Amino acid sequence: MNLLDFANSIEGYLLVSSILFVLGVFAVLTRKNAIGILLGIELILNAAGINFVAFSKFHSAAMDGQMVALFIILIAAAEAAVALAIILRFYRLKQTIDADEASLLRN
Amino acid sequence: MLMSLKAFLPELTLVGFLSALFLLDGFVPKLRENRFPLVWVMVSCLGAALATKAASNLTGPFFNGMVLSNGLSTFFRYFFFFSCGATAYLTLSSKEIDSRGRSEFSILLLCLTFGLSLMALSNHFLMLYIGIETVSIISFVLAGFSRESLRSNEASFKYLVYGAVSSGLMIFGISLIYGYTGTLAYPQIAEALVKNNGAHPYVFYLALFLVYAGFAYKISSFPFHFWTPDVYEGAPTPVATFFSVGPKAAGFGALLHFILTALSQKDGNGQWTMIPGIQLAPILAVLSATTMVVGNLSAIAQTNVKRILAFSSIAHVGYVLMGFVVMTPAAFSSIIFYLIVYCAMNLGAFWVVGIVTDLQGNDDVSSFRGLGWNMPFLGVCMAIFLFSLTGIPLFSGFIGKFLLFGALIQVPGYLWLALLGVLNSVVSLYYYMKILKAMWLERPEGEVKALRLPLTQIVGLLGLAVPTIVLGLFFSPVLELAQKWVAQ
Repeated sequence: MNLLDFANSIEGYLLVSSILFVLGVFAVLTRKNAIGILLGIELILNAAGINFVAFSKFHSAAMDGQMVALFIILIAAAEAAVALAIILRFYRLKQTIDADEASLLRN
Repeated sequence: MLMSLKAFLPELTLVGFLSALFLLDGFVPKLRENRFPLVWVMVSCLGAALATKAASNLTGPFFNGMVLSNGLSTFFRYFFFFSCGATAYLTLSSKEIDSRGRSEFSILLLCLTFGLSLMALSNHFLMLYIGIETVSIISFVLAGFSRESLRSNEASFKYLVYGAVSSGLMIFGISLIYGYTGTLAYPQIAEALVKNNGAHPYVFYLALFLVYAGFAYKISSFPFHFWTPDVYEGAPTPVATFFSVGPKAAGFGALLHFILTALSQKDGNGQWTMIPGIQLAPILAVLSATTMVVGNLSAIAQTNVKRILAFSSIAHVGYVLMGFVVMTPAAFSSIIFYLIVYCAMNLGAFWVVGIVTDLQGNDDVSSFRGLGWNMPFLGVCMAIFLFSLTGIPLFSGFIGKFLLFGALIQVPGYLWLALLGVLNSVVSLYYYMKILKAMWLERPEGEVKALRLPLTQIVGLLGLAVPTIVLGLFFSPVLELAQKWVAQ
């Protein structure tokens, strides 16, 4: 199978989205910086978006996959806006955005 | 379309009141200095509840199958509007939400309630995702509502990380289910699953697990429960009160609709059976068992009352999940009954904690010392709520658990889960008693702080304590109502 066939089959898209998803989960689990965690979450959301568009293009006559991808982008933007505000306020009070420093509430 | 709007009347009413409050607050800034916004929330919840009554006979899918209106939807709508109104009522005298934040709090609370409705009514994955995100994003803000408090900010930060990750996992799982079935609407998913007949089980179960991440985070079930104690402890008490009831019930509502519409078929005599090739009961049984064990065991070592109640709420989620294991109508009506009972007793317990926090300045068990003798009314109410949460006979919590365990052992093979539930109730007695012991058997250190409760508080607490007892004795009318909702 040459590279062009791969780009025209669903496997290529699924491969990219799986790699993005794993990288996103990895970033969320290992990053200490709050912005880093946020970026990991964006990777997970975009992996889902790619999946939706790919499945919709190859397996479905309707446009609902593309619609969902649009909604994911919208919701990710809303979430990022709130997340940045929360991280900013955390920074004002603690002078750091290291997630490990959020240790006031624990057993 | 007109029918859809009619069936959506409760939510439209809520949004109408919400927009009016938004405008009023902008144009008449003086209103926020008194308690007007909170009273407005109660009025809008009342209006939405009346609209629910009017719309309750309209059943079926609406808005091209995006939302599903049936008996369960009616129940969950009533539930959300009641808990939202009750939260606004208990915030009236809270010191944590003061005049500076009252109108923002009210507006966010109404938005959140709207999101809860969307979640519990969703009949399509897109609707579910939008509902969950609406609830989550507003919850992040509400958890961090005390602007100067580091604890509140930390709660909001942790909630954000856990919430965003689990909803991300969920949407990825939804994308896999979309690939597996080719559709996002629950009824069509069921049809496609029948056609697929259990092909590629690993992909399907992986997708289901990822989707469950979203549900588990909302109902705080194992393994996505870690945020719960931190968020309840850090968030302002009225907010934690609402979190422990509203979003949880919405998660259960969404899970019920998802399992009943997308994963099972209803046969002629009102029984649900899983689509052939899907085995969920053992997985749900294990999740239920681990959730209640983790919740109860973690609660034992806690010294902060809000943390104890948070872990106890996780344990209660474990009990409710039992009802999902056996898919009988009796189990579903006992889930509904349990949610009603849980709403009354948990709102009450958090309310007392809120009053004590305002009085003592912190919410450790030590600040409850001697409370029963200094403020007997408060002490007796708290005792009623805690006894009911434990599940001691004569209180409604006992009947709730009795119905759930009873529905569970009707189906062979799950006796162990019911026994584990009973054992867990015994364990939970220990940590509830820790609070009661501090209240009634210990003397306060230093000066005695007591205050006369305002009339609104007494009325409100009675309004929750009386049903907590009465439902333990005369439960059949409510149970029949629950059965009617399930059958519809």
